[in-house]
Amino acid sequence: MTEPKDEHIKPGVCIPWEHKVKELPPITGDAELVRRVWEDNEALAYTFIWHCLVSF
Amino acid sequence: MPQTMEERYAERLKRYVTAMRNGKPDRVPIRPFVAEFAAKYAGYNCQEVTHDYEKAFDAACKTAADFDWDAVVGNMVYVWTGLTQAIGTKYYAVPGIDIPADTGFQYREPPEDEAFMRPEEYDELIADPTGFLFNVWLPRVSADVVAPNDPATYRSHLAFLKGGMAMLKYFYAFGTQAARLRAECGMPGAIAGILKAPFDILADKLRGYIGLTFDMFDRPDKVREACEALMPHLLHVALSGADPEKNLPIAIWMHRGCVPFVSFETFENLYWPTLKPIIQEIWKRGHQVLFYAEGNWNMHLKSFAELPDGSIIYHVDKADIFEVHKAIGHKFCLSGGVPNYLLGFGTPDDVRACCKKVIDGVARDGGYIMDACAIVQNDATVENMRAMTDFTREYGVY
Repeated sequence: MTEPKDEHIKPGVCIPWEHKVKELPPITGDAELVRRVWEDNEALAYTFIWHCLVSF
Repeated sequence: MPQTMEERYAERLKRYVTAMRNGKPDRVPIRPFVAEFAAKYAGYNCQEVTHDYEKAFDAACKTAADFDWDAVVGNMVYVWTGLTQAIGTKYYAVPGIDIPADTGFQYREPPEDEAFMRPEEYDELIADPTGFLFNVWLPRVSADVVAPNDPATYRSHLAFLKGGMAMLKYFYAFGTQAARLRAECGMPGAIAGILKAPFDILADKLRGYIGLTFDMFDRPDKVREACEALMPHLLHVALSGADPEKNLPIAIWMHRGCVPFVSFETFENLYWPTLKPIIQEIWKRGHQVLFYAEGNWNMHLKSFAELPDGSIIYHVDKADIFEVHKAIGHKFCLSGGVPNYLLGFGTPDDVRACCKKVIDGVARDGGYIMDACAIVQNDATVENMRAMTDFTREYGVY
């Protein structure tokens, strides 16, 4: 399978966590939790735009 | 003792899945993709089921309860125009607004010079397909969404907010609908998840059919790169809606990638090489794909035969189903073969004769699912749908 040109912009996300984390102050708590929740919400935005294209 | 709904559900699912795996169940399963037919049967017009999905769900349940089928789609009038209106989508003709209230919704493809993607924009799409969709495509297909460099508007904000929430609400409602069909009608779902070929997406929603045809001559390498850039995303979308139990297939709606819409070379060099790996990956992950081969794809059966045995279910529309059976029936389950014109304008005797011919010709060893050639709209008569159902139930016993 061909991967997207920008290795960070993979299927399932719109703004990759690797980009977002640079905007945040150092995470003193559970960084994995913050990443997971960020990506869960990213998936909703991704689903919206790709289903606009594919399904609707 | 009468069967419980759960027993019926289990029996039907087993029958359906056995056939899809190209096996021989107890009898020929019936899985018609009834769209506006369900509306008519339940007493609704096209506007009601297209714009109010609860009515479409009710219609699907009523039809499923009254016809002895083995699997149905929760709502085959899939495009909820309440959602597309919230987003501001411009390419639908909506029943009751743009077209008569009892005409099924229509797609309107823009003229070539107003295509939603311009020929010089391939690189932008290839570099970041998701960004392109948000920044370029959506502002063009929506009457309300504005492009990033234009001033923000109230309507643009609302299009995202209402569109996003409406889509979530609609998708969640499908889960409830599946549970209702199971509990009230003992009816399994027919499909789970959606796939489109990269080439079809480029033609349908981005460059337009005519624009893409010219691009095949003017910039074939860019077309290939664009298809390749779309591949991982279309795979992701397909898998994200797939059946976790791996019983129901992901459906691919194939329409304009075959001869004569494209040349044989375009199919061989572009359409198929950018679709086949997606199918193979889906199969590797344990899901079948239902090839809903709209039109006549018989020129390409040799290519489809390259796929692993059982990886697809092949639905036959305009093609000669007996020819299809001869070519790939040993590898894949087939469905379809009953022309929609017959269901609309033939007699019940015509329908029964056709069903007999199809069952005799392709279902002898299993691996066949009774269905119309195409999605059943409101021109099909109740008598003919009953004839197809009752005849298959009676005659299609192994």
